Amino acid sequence: MTEVRSAPATAVPAVAGPPSGPAGGSRRRERAKQGAVGWLFVLPFAVLLVAFLLLPMAYALKLSLYRSTLIEGEVFAFLDNYKQAFEDPLVRQGVVRVLLFGLVQTPVMIGIALLAALLIDGATSRFSRFFRLAAFVPYAVPVVIGTLMWGFLYSGSTGPFRGLGIDFLSSGVVLASLGNIVTWQWAGYNMIVLYAALQGLPKEVYESARLDGATGTQIALRIKTPMISSALVLATLFTIMGTLQFFTEPLILRPLNPGAITEHYTPNLYAFHQAFSFQQYNYSAAISFLLGAVVFVGSYIFLFATRKRSALR
Amino acid sequence: MVAAVSALALAACSGGSSDAGAEDGPVTIKVWAWYPAFQGVVDDFNKTHTDIKIEWTNAGAGQDQYTKLQTALKAGKGAPDVAMLEFQEIPTFQLTKHLVDLGKYGANDVKSSYVDWAWKQVSTGDSVYAIPVDAGPMAMLYREDLFKQYGLTVPKTWADYRAQAEKLKTASGGKSYITDFGANDGGFMTGLLWQAGAKPYTYDIADPSSIGIAANSAEAKNVFGYWDDLVKNGLSDTVAYGTTDFYNGLATGKYVTYLAAGWGPGYLQSVAKTTSGKWRAAPLPQWTEGADAQGDWGGSSFAVTDQTKHPEQAAKVAMEIFGATNTDAWKIGIDEAYLFPTATPILESDAFVKKEYEFFGGQKVNEVFVPAYNGITEFAWSPFNSYNFNQLTTTVGQAIEQKTAWTQALDTVQTNVSTYATQQGFTVK
Repeated sequence: MTEVRSAPATAVPAVAGPPSGPAGGSRRRERAKQGAVGWLFVLPFAVLLVAFLLLPMAYALKLSLYRSTLIEGEVFAFLDNYKQAFEDPLVRQGVVRVLLFGLVQTPVMIGIALLAALLIDGATSRFSRFFRLAAFVPYAVPVVIGTLMWGFLYSGSTGPFRGLGIDFLSSGVVLASLGNIVTWQWAGYNMIVLYAALQGLPKEVYESARLDGATGTQIALRIKTPMISSALVLATLFTIMGTLQFFTEPLILRPLNPGAITEHYTPNLYAFHQAFSFQQYNYSAAISFLLGAVVFVGSYIFLFATRKRSALR
Repeated sequence: MVAAVSALALAACSGGSSDAGAEDGPVTIKVWAWYPAFQGVVDDFNKTHTDIKIEWTNAGAGQDQYTKLQTALKAGKGAPDVAMLEFQEIPTFQLTKHLVDLGKYGANDVKSSYVDWAWKQVSTGDSVYAIPVDAGPMAMLYREDLFKQYGLTVPKTWADYRAQAEKLKTASGGKSYITDFGANDGGFMTGLLWQAGAKPYTYDIADPSSIGIAANSAEAKNVFGYWDDLVKNGLSDTVAYGTTDFYNGLATGKYVTYLAAGWGPGYLQSVAKTTSGKWRAAPLPQWTEGADAQGDWGGSSFAVTDQTKHPEQAAKVAMEIFGATNTDAWKIGIDEAYLFPTATPILESDAFVKKEYEFFGGQKVNEVFVPAYNGITEFAWSPFNSYNFNQLTTTVGQAIEQKTAWTQALDTVQTNVSTYATQQGFTVK
């Protein structure tokens, strides 16, 4: 607070020297004052950003460069933790699993969300309003509650699908079961994002399309979808980031079958267990930073590939 | 976020006690524990003591509390004076030298109240790092009605247990299993290893930096090979313990035996209420006919942390709160919390041994559990038990999922734990 206020006070005499006229001086003073006010506006955000994001990240980065062992205590290790993470097959398995998961999950979920958004945008009956709400409700259920609920639904002895003879929690099926939970939870949210974008489109475009003889399906696919491409890109980006950081659902379902959902099932889960079960805070920090790099690169590749379609450049 | 919240909670906790000692009133001793019905025990203590006031917090059960405690101990503030620790965690906490040696505060005077193996769980030589509270000697709980219905006899050996399982599979048309093997529970599996005489770790806190690792010993492989065979032949189920499917299996007769610890009768009663009167207790089957080998699953103690400002009073709390002479506390402990006491005077009192359990058709189940407790032998834990349990549960869980040999899983545990111990700077013997 005081820092920001004092900054212009010292800056003003320095710039408002003898060479400049009185008018220029006051303009500069005005600008400096505006700058100070601007800083004041961003201050609450800046403080929170530094205190709760940048500082913890710097601390985690420092942690990741040290190595703490039960016997020898803490020693500087430079990149040893990163080297270990690169060579750790369990990290690799986790990364491959979430990449695979994202590769299937993202198109399926965005596809469902887009289809639903186009359908309720096309129809204007009371049913569409109900459908919009119903699709959104799972997102309003806390992730933990939703996952626990699915845990009961998947139960082999009491679940409603027990007659199908599928063990939803066995190692071959559980990734799909988890994907189902994520889709259930997030498709409605993405649908609302896309639907909101659709609502913002000018109606005249549809009219001219209809005059030109376009069918409803053609309008949906050739007119509406391209016009909301920036919202689509955004929703896809969030989905990619979410799937790479996959954590809560496997953590909650894990007790039901820890043999299938191992402690290294996803990189985030592995980092969590390294820190809070095995007290390997340093290694955990290194895994987290590596995962952060994967997410960053993945997101960047996606944004770069879609730069022509989206407004996000 | 979670870390921030718990840090706040810790800070809030530590605020209260710091200046309590300066006043003339009773010394406040903060206690972390998660025993059921513990409030009554604390109230009793506070009523009968004018010099000490216990301030109890339930900081979470098991790993939740340990994580908080580790963090607070590492941070140098926020830890309670006295904390509940399960036996298997004591070396982990002692390794970081955060436990007060209670031997200096008269703990060796109460040594005679405990059997040898239990005392060795908490001490080395004259150094005492915790005071035992409860234990989990293992026994077999079984459905008497279903045993009768399917013409089974109570097995005395593991070989006979398997034979009964075969008979049950045929008689019930595959509807019932002899039991459920909870591969998600490291304590349960270790209890079975303990009974078979397997000693996965050789470790003494007096020599903290060296450890012997024998996770894949012949005894251990024998136990896991046996259960692997039962599971692969469809004789035992493998649903994770503590899940709805497991409770459902206990309540519906899907499982006709439950290999339980001393706290098991109370637990079973709470999760399978509808089967009241149908269960009975029998000793754990033996590997050698006529032998008396026993194992322990769970058990806890009270330790004093190095953050206490009143070690003498904290030690007194640890020794007295569930002490050998504190019959009032144990009345609550036995009747409401279903704890299995470690102190011999309590253990051998009529109030415990002769207690009839309605849930077990009036059987005095402790007549089974008390001899089991007395038959347990020494057992050492590693100072990185959460890693050990995690390795055990993960590898066996994967072996079940992928239908590979459980004995191979033990080899993996051996390799991984040895690597881990070496990385941590231990000398692996």
